[in-house]
Order: sequence, then structure tokens, then C-alpha cells
Amino acid sequence: MADELYLENIDEFVTDQNRVVTYKWLSYTLGVHVNQAKQMLYDYVERKRKENSGAQLHVTYLVAGNLLQNGYVCHKVAVVREDKLEAMKSKLSTLASVHVYSIQKALLKDSSPLYSTDYDIVKSNLQHCSKFSAIHCAAAVPRTPPDAPRAPAQSQRGPDAASVVNGHGPPAARPPPQQQRGIMGMFAAKAAAKPQDTPKETKAEAKEAPGVSATSSKPSIKNSIMNNFFGKAAMNKLKANSVPEQLKEEKEVAKPSVAVAEPESSPNSVAEKPGKKAESARIQQKDKRSKTKRTDRSDDEEERDPENVKKKRKRIKQLQSDSSDEEDIPPSPTREEERAPSPPLVPALKTELEPASTEGSAAGRKRKRKRVLKSKMFIDEEEGCMVTEKVYESESCTDSEDEFPKPKAPAPNKQPVLPAKREPKEERKNLKKGAAPVNRANKQASIMGFFQKK
Amino acid sequence: MSHAMFSEQAAPTAQGLLAPPSAEPPTFPRVPVSGYSDCSQPFQLGERSFSRQYAHIYAVRLAGMRPGLERCARKQWGNDIALRKLSELQAGEKCCVVGTLFKAMQLQPSILQEISEEHNLVPQPPLPKYIQPSDELMLEDELQRIKLEGAIDVQKLVTGTIVAVYGSEQDDGRFLVEDHCFADLPPPLPWNGPSSDRFVLLASGLGLGSVSGEALLSTQLLVDVVTGQLGAEGEQSCAAHITRVILAGNLLSQNTQSRDTINKAKYLTKKTQAASVEAVKMLDEILLQLCTSVPVDVMPGEFDPTNYTLPQQPLHRCMLPLASTYTTLHLVTNPYQANLDGVRFLGTSGQNISDIFKYSSMDDYLEILEWTLRAGHISPTAPDTLGCYPFYKSDPFILTECPHVYFCGNAPHFQSKLLQGKEGQRVLLVTVPDFSATQTACLINLRDLTCQPITFSGFGADSEDRDIEVGH
Repeated sequence: MADELYLENIDEFVTDQNRVVTYKWLSYTLGVHVNQAKQMLYDYVERKRKENSGAQLHVTYLVAGNLLQNGYVCHKVAVVREDKLEAMKSKLSTLASVHVYSIQKALLKDSSPLYSTDYDIVKSNLQHCSKFSAIHCAAAVPRTPPDAPRAPAQSQRGPDAASVVNGHGPPAARPPPQQQRGIMGMFAAKAAAKPQDTPKETKAEAKEAPGVSATSSKPSIKNSIMNNFFGKAAMNKLKANSVPEQLKEEKEVAKPSVAVAEPESSPNSVAEKPGKKAESARIQQKDKRSKTKRTDRSDDEEERDPENVKKKRKRIKQLQSDSSDEEDIPPSPTREEERAPSPPLVPALKTELEPASTEGSAAGRKRKRKRVLKSKMFIDEEEGCMVTEKVYESESCTDSEDEFPKPKAPAPNKQPVLPAKREPKEERKNLKKGAAPVNRANKQASIMGFFQKK
Repeated sequence: MSHAMFSEQAAPTAQGLLAPPSAEPPTFPRVPVSGYSDCSQPFQLGERSFSRQYAHIYAVRLAGMRPGLERCARKQWGNDIALRKLSELQAGEKCCVVGTLFKAMQLQPSILQEISEEHNLVPQPPLPKYIQPSDELMLEDELQRIKLEGAIDVQKLVTGTIVAVYGSEQDDGRFLVEDHCFADLPPPLPWNGPSSDRFVLLASGLGLGSVSGEALLSTQLLVDVVTGQLGAEGEQSCAAHITRVILAGNLLSQNTQSRDTINKAKYLTKKTQAASVEAVKMLDEILLQLCTSVPVDVMPGEFDPTNYTLPQQPLHRCMLPLASTYTTLHLVTNPYQANLDGVRFLGTSGQNISDIFKYSSMDDYLEILEWTLRAGHISPTAPDTLGCYPFYKSDPFILTECPHVYFCGNAPHFQSKLLQGKEGQRVLLVTVPDFSATQTACLINLRDLTCQPITFSGFGADSEDRDIEVGH
């Protein structure tokens, strides 16, 4: 009988799996109304006890009612163990509800297992947490995300903000979505269009570039360079990388995250291009990396995935920040979003992303160009200090480099202005340190590296 | 009395769920909000500039409250009393002066003393109360100040209160007070309350992110009662009459404010994230559960991630990505004012009351709450000892209309009182207790302005229920 099925289920949960079966857990697991779940639990307890009075079964009850306390008639809602049920009921002047709260094999010392069971099941059902409840609210409707109207507004903002030299560009809250749009714009269009959006946007936030006045001429230069740089092979690589990103993104989107780009990315994941999703994933990952610490994700994983796909934008950014740099170094377009939380974060990310592009480009392919560790120095207007960065630059070289085990550049030497923001950068710095010596061991470092100061 | 509203209706079916599964269980629709309007515009700050002196806020406060006080003075001491400014005082003449109180307290923390190198002082540790018998009261108006003595309770009153004193200036330059009065209750608002039972749940001090686990289950029980998961059918049906939930501040615990990372070396703290991040995630999940079922107003409090000065601006919705997709989530200011179903609510997260507590002899939060209403100002100690935005056009904390429900959050106990005013005002005063400490929230019935505390508990190793102490 279908009705009896729930008894077997509960039996299995309690006896075999040794679970703490709360009414809420049962309701979500069996997909039934909470009241039905409560009644099912009661039914199970009654039957089990009837057939086997020595059954190892402990029950907790929910008792609610009125209690006269210090002149106020207080409504008390309590979860009690079975042995305290009658005592609680007698304390209450009026009884409002009694029902089974949970069943478990072991005697509970305190109510924290109940809380954790409920917490876990709600967490995995956050999308429809009021589905089996007894109250339905008509007013509780999710907002429609303002996806479409925002996209054109964002792209327009790019060129406008480009003229801002040293002031504060668009407010901090906007860069992340702006950034995301730009990145999505990048992948939505072809390679030619891609560099256009991002340089404009990255320029909006660029505060580090000493030669900012020259940046307006950069995009046009960059376009051609970008086109040259990204041959078909590179594009294929990017697409291939997008796919694993996509899968990862699916997983991530399912998990509720606190990333800034989350509201945008969830509607995005429903529709549209894989590239976009990949971008969102990376943004999220980046946000998560810089802002939160997700315990279920390793740093390596985070770094490796965004690197490959972000390499292109990285190069554009680098071009822009180094006025005298005639090599093709991709910038770090993620700079905008980082700008909001932590400006000093950006150079570190920049350096980190750079090796990623190398990794992507070097792997599986023999290239004439290769990455060399170089020291770059520039003035960080925002922080008011000079920044020395060791970055990997592509340059023609006959040496072939097979291994690139996670090349990491040491973090720039900066005067700690805002110590609180240093943390993610520091961690990256430490991660990089491990690989840097390995890197150097493989190739003959050019002595010219010492004289390449800017 | 309808205190027992919840239980009375629920009692008949209380044990209904102690039975085998029956036919399709009923689902109750949430009673919709018939009228809601947010009246917190005065507390919403747009462009903020801190380049102004705080003297202006006192000037506008005095200018704004002077007419009301002069009216009260005439009512109390006769129409023909002489209203004088301090500069017009003549020795011995009985007159009435309206001005701002200033209490000179020796123990009042002063930043200048703290940083003064010549004193070489160790900063004073925070005390529960800074009052001392040697404190003195002074009355200030636009131009002058004068020391007060006489029939005025120095210990009870606090700086920033606008008061009208009646007396005369003595030869030694002090003003001898024979009587004094405050602005008294503001004019009443018309009553448009509902005719059937509608409840508003007021809770404050959820204190997420603390180490205590006991309060977590109680918080979950609170959410479950409101969303209709917990309870038998009768109780669920009653819970469907809860039309709104207001969370009055301190959603995060004080523990999330740890500033250790500033003092520690970088290599020790590089992998740590702020404690508030986890707490805000938890808050987001709790709010999501609530928002799928009931409209929620979230006010920031002392420990929440928003600005420090009053009026605190709403929490930013980017911190609550899950819950902010629902239109039922309203992130509001502190103080918060709104019309719910024709009933005017006004309340704070408690910083105004707790600050007065520190500088006054009044010990009871309900007493202080009532006193602020009678003094006609939500937070007189701002900006002296409580951070406040330097207003200069008008003081938004002046009470111009008498609310129907006036509450403060994060009080040590639950207390409530229905106040009747001379001009027909009816105000329900509620001190909302700190949930993380008391596991108690308040249910206000909008129909008859009654309030009932609702307590939640699990069972612990000691399995003794701790009775909440309710003071009077």
C-alpha cells in the first residue's frame, strides 16, 4: 500500500541509517506537507511501540501554549524530549499545539542535532523552502532580474568613463556588474570586438597607469595586436576552456554564493552563451577568492581555472599600463571588480593571470614566444607608492619550455597602506612562491632582467 | 483581553497532529498587508557631507521645538508668563526660558582627554553608567548658557533635551528652577487600524555569528512558526495572521566585529575572513526562508554592516543575494517609521535608549522609551555621546506626530505598556528584547494594540527552562 510506504521509509531512516528524522526533514525528503510529515512520524511511533514495546526509539515533541510569566501572558514554543513532555504541558495554562518534532534511535543530550538536521535540509532546498509549509504567501514573488535594460547602459558607460584620469570613476558598486557585462560582451562578440569593450572598461578604472593620457590611443593599437596575437589556436583553446568552466559554473550556481555578481549570473546561467557563464564563474570565483573563503574549494583550483580563460584580457590590460612596453602583454580586466573591494589586490591578480595565459598557450603547443620573468616598476596613483612587479612577459626565445608548473610571480612590494585588504594577495603570494623557484630552475634566467627597470 | 489570542483559537486542534496522516492538510493563505507605506524618508540620507559642525543640529533642534515648548509652558504656567531668552534675563524676575540642556559630567569619555599627551592618561574603560553626584545641568539657548539648580532632576536628564524651565535668575548667576516641562506627547494621528486580528512580529538581536548554539535553534523555531511549518493547525492558522516581521537591528552578533586582524601580523591573518561574512550568509538564508512567506523589514543595528552614525542607512542588498530577489524583503533605516495597515510604527534598534541609559539615572528601558516620547525627541543625546549625522536643515529625530506603536530593539527584557495621552493619543510602547539572550520576540496585535511575548526554547544538557525575567 502506498500509505504504508512512508512507514517503511521512516523505519529505514531511523533504524538503518540511524538518522535524526525531524518533521521538516521528512517533509522535504518525501515531498509531503509538513503536517502530514508530523502525522506520519506519530503514526510510526505508535505502530512501532505497539508491535515492539522495547523498541529503541526516542521522540521529541513540539509543545506550544500560553504561560503566565511575571505578569505577561507569554506564548511559549518549546522542543522537549518525551520524558519532559507532560511536565511542559502542565506548565502551560493553555495548550496551543503538540506534535512530534523528531524521531531518532539515540537519546539526544541537547537539541543541536535537531538544528543541524533542519539546517542541512533547508540549505539544500533553499529554492523552495516554503513549498511544504502550511502558510502560503501570495506576495512573495521573486523580482524579475533587470537583465536586458542594464546591458546597453553598461557599454555606454565605458567610453564615458574613459576620460576620467585620476578621479574616482563609476561608483564602486557598479564595476562588478559593469565588468561582467564587459566580459560577457567580450565573449559574446568575436575576437575583434572583444578587445574593444574591455580596454574601455578597464580604462575606466585604471588608476595605476602613469601614462593615462596616452591610453585613449591604446585601444586601436591593441585591437590589431589582439587580433594578431590570438590566432585560431588560441581561440580554440579558449573555447575548450570555456566548457569545463561551464560545468563548473553549473555546480557553482547551484550552490548559493555571496558573490557580487550572483544575481546577474543566475539569470545568465539560464539563458545565453557558455562564454558568459564561464565569465560569471570566474567573476564569482574571483569574488569568492578575494572576498570569501570557501572551504570546499582549494586555492589552486580557483587560480587555474580562471587563468586560462582570462588570459586574453590580461594582455590588454598590461599593454595599457605599460606605456613603454611594446610587447603583447594582456591586461587584467578583472581589475574593475577588484577595484571595489581591494585595489592592491589587482596587481597580484594581474601577475597571476599572466602566467595563466602562458600556461594555456604553452601547453600542448610549441611556441616561438615564451614567458620571461621580468621586473616592472610603475607608480600606483591610488596608493601613492611605487610598485615593483615581477611579471611574465612574452618574448621571442629559442628555448623551449615544456613545463610550466603553475608559474607564480612574487607579489609586488608595496607599502602596506590598508593591511586588511592584503590578505588574499598575501595568500596568493605564498602560493606563487613555491612554484617560482621551480620555474627558474628550468630555464636560464636572462641577466638582462636586472636592467629592465621602468 | 486578547493576549491569549494565539492559543485560544488554536486550543481545540492542539493535539490534532498526534494522529495518523489524514486527508490533504489545509494550507492557510498569509493575510495580505492591506496598506503599507514607508515613512522613513527623513532618515534616508543621500549625499552625505561631514564637513559641517555639529552646532547646527542643536540650533535647528531648538528652533524646531521651541514653539511646541512655549505652548506647553503657557498651558502649564499660565498664558501670561514671561518668555525670555537667556540674554534678556533680569535677576529675580520669574520667567520661563526654553533651551537645550547640557549635563557636565566628569566621567563622560572625552576624546580630547584621551589623546592629550600631557595628561598621560590611560583611556577610561567603558562603564555601564557615567553619572555621578557631582554632575551639573546647564541650560543653553542660541547665545548663552546658565547653570541650573532647583526643582530639576540632574541625574535623570541628559544632554540635548529641549526643556522649558520656570524660575528666576539668582544673584550668583545661576537659575533657580521652580518647575520645568518638556514637549510632551506629540499630537495624535488618526486611527485607521484593522478590524480583525493582524499581527506584527517584532524581534531584534538575532545575533548571528556568535558562538552560542542555543539561540540558533530558537531562531529556527521562530522562522518555522512564522512560516507556518511548526505547530498544529490552529497555531498555523493563527500564524497566517502575522502580516509582517520587523527585525530591529543587531542581526549580527557583536562577535563578528572582531578587529583583531588590524593588530595581528599579516601572515597570521591572511587566510582568515571577517567573521561577519559567514554571519551574513546565515542571515541571508534565514531571511530567504522568511521572505518566501511573509514581508520582512530589516533594520540595521549597532553591530550590523552599515554606517555607524544615526540614522543608520539600510543594509545593502548585495549582501543578501538570495533574499533580495524577493519583493517581500525591505531593507530599511534605523530609526524606522512606517504605516502598517493604518497603524503608525516608529522605532529604533535601541542605540538611542541604551545611550540615554548610560548617562541618566533611569534604569528601565521602558521608562526611558516613554521619557523620550514625552521629551518629544527620539535621541536627545545625539550627537553629544551618540554618533549622528550633522544635520543642519532640520532635525529628523524630533517627534512631530505621535506613533501608535513606539519600539526600541535590543532591550534586556521584554516590556510593553499602552500609554494614553491627554489629547487622545494611544501609544503602545514596546521594548523588544535581545533574541540571542532571551529567545523572546514580540507579537503585536494591530487590532487592539496589545503585545504578547513569544519565547522559544530547545533542550540542553541541563534541560532546565530558564524563565525570562520580566522587569517592571
